[in-house]
Amino acid sequence: MAIQLEQVSYTYADNSLWKQTALHEITLGIPKGSLTGIAGATGSGKSTLLQLFNGILKPTQGTVQVLDVTMRAGEKSPKLLPLRRRVGLVFQFPEQQMFEDTVEKDLCFGPLNFGMSPEEAKERARKAMLEMGLDLGLLTRNPFRLSGGQMRKAAIASVLAMDPEIVVLDEPTATLDPVSRAELISQLERLCREQGRTIIIVTHRMDELLPYADRWILLKDGKIAFQGSGGELAADPDILARCGLGVPHSLRYWRGIAGRFGLAGEKPRLTPESLAELIASLPGAGTSGRPEEEGGCP
Amino acid sequence: MNERLLLGRSIETGSWVHKLDARSKLTGMLLYVAVILLSDSWPSMALLAAFSIAVMASTRIPLKYFIKAAKPLRYLMLFIFIVQLLSVKAGDVLWSAGSFSLHEGGLRLAAFSVIRMLFLITFTALLTFTTTPGKLNQGLEGILSPFKKLGLSPDRITLMISIALRFIPTILDEAQIIMKAQASRGADLQELPLKEKARMLVSLLVPVISSAFRRAQDLVYSMEARGFRMDAPRSRYHRLRWGAADTVFVAMFVIMGVAVALL
Repeated sequence: MAIQLEQVSYTYADNSLWKQTALHEITLGIPKGSLTGIAGATGSGKSTLLQLFNGILKPTQGTVQVLDVTMRAGEKSPKLLPLRRRVGLVFQFPEQQMFEDTVEKDLCFGPLNFGMSPEEAKERARKAMLEMGLDLGLLTRNPFRLSGGQMRKAAIASVLAMDPEIVVLDEPTATLDPVSRAELISQLERLCREQGRTIIIVTHRMDELLPYADRWILLKDGKIAFQGSGGELAADPDILARCGLGVPHSLRYWRGIAGRFGLAGEKPRLTPESLAELIASLPGAGTSGRPEEEGGCP
Repeated sequence: MNERLLLGRSIETGSWVHKLDARSKLTGMLLYVAVILLSDSWPSMALLAAFSIAVMASTRIPLKYFIKAAKPLRYLMLFIFIVQLLSVKAGDVLWSAGSFSLHEGGLRLAAFSVIRMLFLITFTALLTFTTTPGKLNQGLEGILSPFKKLGLSPDRITLMISIALRFIPTILDEAQIIMKAQASRGADLQELPLKEKARMLVSLLVPVISSAFRRAQDLVYSMEARGFRMDAPRSRYHRLRWGAADTVFVAMFVIMGVAVALL
């Protein structure tokens, strides 16, 4: 397990009038090298949960174990700097954290802080740019002059430049256009599949992540409402409604088609292409004579 | 999130002070300042303390929150105490060493200044604790409205104040997120030695300032898009209402002033 939480609670502003418990007795495990999606309604504690993963927040109750570092509530935690290099945390709107006058300097900021030499940092910066699918010509540009999508990717690259084993992203696709969104998600998937990094993505749009995620964690009011694979989620989508989330289109289509053709036991096809392929391969699919009744198939 | 910052935070308990008109509270506070400055003897200080604590307690907000409000100024109070103690040479000599001496009058004045300052801060915290910034602003506008005749624009002043107050928590929250983001990139301000801290401050200030400018720009655009015009006659969702309780509240301070002046 890359990350293991045992009975973790987190309370903001403990001992004051503004005390607010954001997480209640969370127990979860995230395996190494997996791609995990975290979803939940606004205020369900997603962002708080992420900040526990690299020790920005320390649990007020319970135990957080990340890689080989253990943080227990009430105990003095070990030095967290090495952990932060290994767990890259990308906050919402990461482009807002850029401050240097060139993209390269901004990308080198993390590696230098973690004690890499300037040459090594530059090398890491170049590698991170390529991993995010950015042109190396952008390195000398001012980050404030990039387009929104480029800026977002550059900011994510500035975290990847630290060469983290675990990458945690809070709504990385928010406010991006559909093309950039799809690109970003597929780049993140490559990081997971090709380089074996553990990727954790918080998202509001389950649709874009459903085909790729190995596991899902759903939060409701600071508690875990569901933990398991996308397939299990496809089998019981009602859980989504209970968490205040809409059922993603891809899941609705799959449910419709699986129900119609008795495919409930199969692995869900959640991309338009794979679903179309399946429909085409179905014996007699074209002979029902009422194709419009299945309406809405992408 | 930020426990230490009590400025502009109201604490709702629904007490009678909460329900007062913001104008009466503002007037009360001004009178309170006058009362504090008038009181210059131990009996009047005692009366003032009893009165202040009684009013604070009647808000049903725990007293420790009032004390917390004064905490950031504890060193300033100490400084004032020492300066007064050393500089005032009146009354009997309490203690002397060579040409250096401490006087009874100095000690008294020093104690008075600190007590005055303490009550000034804790008591005026009552205003922000019991009044939401919006209502406070409206009250301020009400109090400043006579200045319209002098060609001053109370709207302008209160708009400035309300924008400033409104954005303090927003910008603080944002600064906190950027601080966390930079900490995730290995620049933890809490863990670094002092020399490094100064360098890291740039990584915090540049993003915070650039986003403050962006916010200001957005605010201007959205106000213009809604046709906002300075000093235009405007109707209000909440009306200010002066009730009997408000008169009582202000009268309390007047009576306190008279009592203190007589003592």
